[in-house]
Amino acid sequence: MISNRHRLLALAFFLFCCLRVSAGTPQQPANRISSSVNVNSRYIIEQVQVIGFPASKLSDSLRSKLQKLVGSAYDTEALDELAHSLRKDLHARNVTQHLARGSSPEMVRVVLEVERRSVALDLSVPKFLYHSKQGWSAQMLASTAVARNHSFIFGLVSDGDELTERFTGIQAAYENIHVGTDHLRFRFAFEDYHQQWNRATTDALSDPTVLNAALRTGAPELYRARRNFQPSLAYALTPSLVVTGGLSFERLQETLPYLQTEGANAFAAGLQYHKRFDDENGGGRTADASYSIRVASRALGSDYLYTRHHWTGGYNFTRGRHSLSDQVTAGYITGRAPLFERFVLGTSSLLRGWNRYEIDPLGGHRLLHNSVEYRYRMANVFYDTGSLWSHGKVPKLKHSLGIGIRHSIFSLAIAFPVRQGRVDPILMVGMNY
Amino acid sequence: MLRLTRRLFLLACCGAPFTVALGAQELSARLDQANILHVLAPGLHFLKGKSLERLKDGATVAILGQLTLSLDANVTIATRAIARFALSYDIWEERFSVSRFAAAHQETVARGASHLSPEAAEAWCLDHLTVDTSVLPIGRQFWIRLELRIEDGREGNQIIGEPGINLTRLIEIFSRPARAQQQRWQLDAGPLHLADLRRSSS
Repeated sequence: MISNRHRLLALAFFLFCCLRVSAGTPQQPANRISSSVNVNSRYIIEQVQVIGFPASKLSDSLRSKLQKLVGSAYDTEALDELAHSLRKDLHARNVTQHLARGSSPEMVRVVLEVERRSVALDLSVPKFLYHSKQGWSAQMLASTAVARNHSFIFGLVSDGDELTERFTGIQAAYENIHVGTDHLRFRFAFEDYHQQWNRATTDALSDPTVLNAALRTGAPELYRARRNFQPSLAYALTPSLVVTGGLSFERLQETLPYLQTEGANAFAAGLQYHKRFDDENGGGRTADASYSIRVASRALGSDYLYTRHHWTGGYNFTRGRHSLSDQVTAGYITGRAPLFERFVLGTSSLLRGWNRYEIDPLGGHRLLHNSVEYRYRMANVFYDTGSLWSHGKVPKLKHSLGIGIRHSIFSLAIAFPVRQGRVDPILMVGMNY
Repeated sequence: MLRLTRRLFLLACCGAPFTVALGAQELSARLDQANILHVLAPGLHFLKGKSLERLKDGATVAILGQLTLSLDANVTIATRAIARFALSYDIWEERFSVSRFAAAHQETVARGASHLSPEAAEAWCLDHLTVDTSVLPIGRQFWIRLELRIEDGREGNQIIGEPGINLTRLIEIFSRPARAQQQRWQLDAGPLHLADLRRSSS
């Protein structure tokens, strides 16, 4: 059950969120002068142009905001908000608005000039989560952009949510976002983690029955550290479709008593699709899909030989204050994969409410999961269903239900596993999970 | 008789532009039939520089104006009037539009004018920044101070509250020095006598 400590944590977090939101959200500008006072409000916006930043790299949401202004009356408040969004999203030094005459006397053109930083240093916390069963997970990144196209990223992470293991360590990457063309990007990533294992995982590996079952697909080994070097290229076929390809050289240092090093070197490729459709009545739909494959082969000197497929698909429909979304995830592994490649259910996004170590302390080779979420304003309810199994086992479908509050990037959710016997809810509080 | 030396000539040449500029920004006043004081400053041009650039880029520029009367050379204030104006520039007609907000509520436009030249827009703002002289003792000399500044966002947040413009905050703002980058103007006139002021019908 939820302890007093958890209640206090949730309360403290929400107080923080409220403060953060009230501090971060620009106060509804009571001081702003109504747009109708501006003499140009009688003109229609013919075009909104962004200069100083490649239009192809603008996010769908920004592009949609730009598009919405075309055909509407000149509105200084709406343009101020758009300039604010541009400055925030593009981490620009400044965004200046200019107004020019349109093609006919009742039309005007708006030009938004983005002034970028020559060297930008950004600190961000992409993930911050408290999970009542798994404890804290957090990631902190510092990135700096040099000469527009080059960026260096350094991060610290401790994550007990995504995998069977808790991995703690550093991340670093170099990225060039313009390799001859705006469509091609190069990235070289480095990761160095130390592992902590849950007792359920170590016990399972010492349990002969579990181990025998695991041996059919290749016995997994515990490791105390892993280090990865991953060069990759990403090519944008269209603004919505990106294809990636690269290599991953991962070295695993096994735990005592062997202390030997094994390689999980793989070819990695993927395809990502993201498209947003805006309705005329102010609603919107978003479609996402991705596929990734990792093939660990002797050709790359890998000790682990496996192929890992991973599919995701999502659809989100928003109308007014209502939002409905569905996310599907599937995975399939053949061969002997290391523990970090195995699929897990019972995380903060997959089959929420279940304890992952009760489902399978070693993770599985097959995964199928679906999540349906309905949201009204800040409140949301969700229903997760999924199955995790390995070769030779019969898949069992598990369900969970949950309620929560989501505001901006902050979330609080309580999820209940649907099963007979005692109800043991799981509390999740954090951001960007 | 003053002898024109070379040093005096050079001093006069260097000082002439400043004298002309100061003279050009002279502040004068007139009274209407209701004893309301209006100011005139034909040499004062506040539609220039950054604010003019912003106007030509389609922005609405807000100007805060304060007119104070004092009986002791602007040491203590006998009465004051504060006004807020919003200016915009018509991109097609290349003319200015100006609105004066009612003090009680910031959304309410009390008066407005359009199709104005820059000089006419400036004159309109000054003409609608008026102060009642009925509080001045009859026969006493008085001084006038005109202050104008381009409003920045931070000041706007402080001025405008739930019930409308917060006059106390507005007075506080005028009581402290303007920020370094903020465009501001100040003109003084006096000592004057009400009886000496030109009277007009409006």
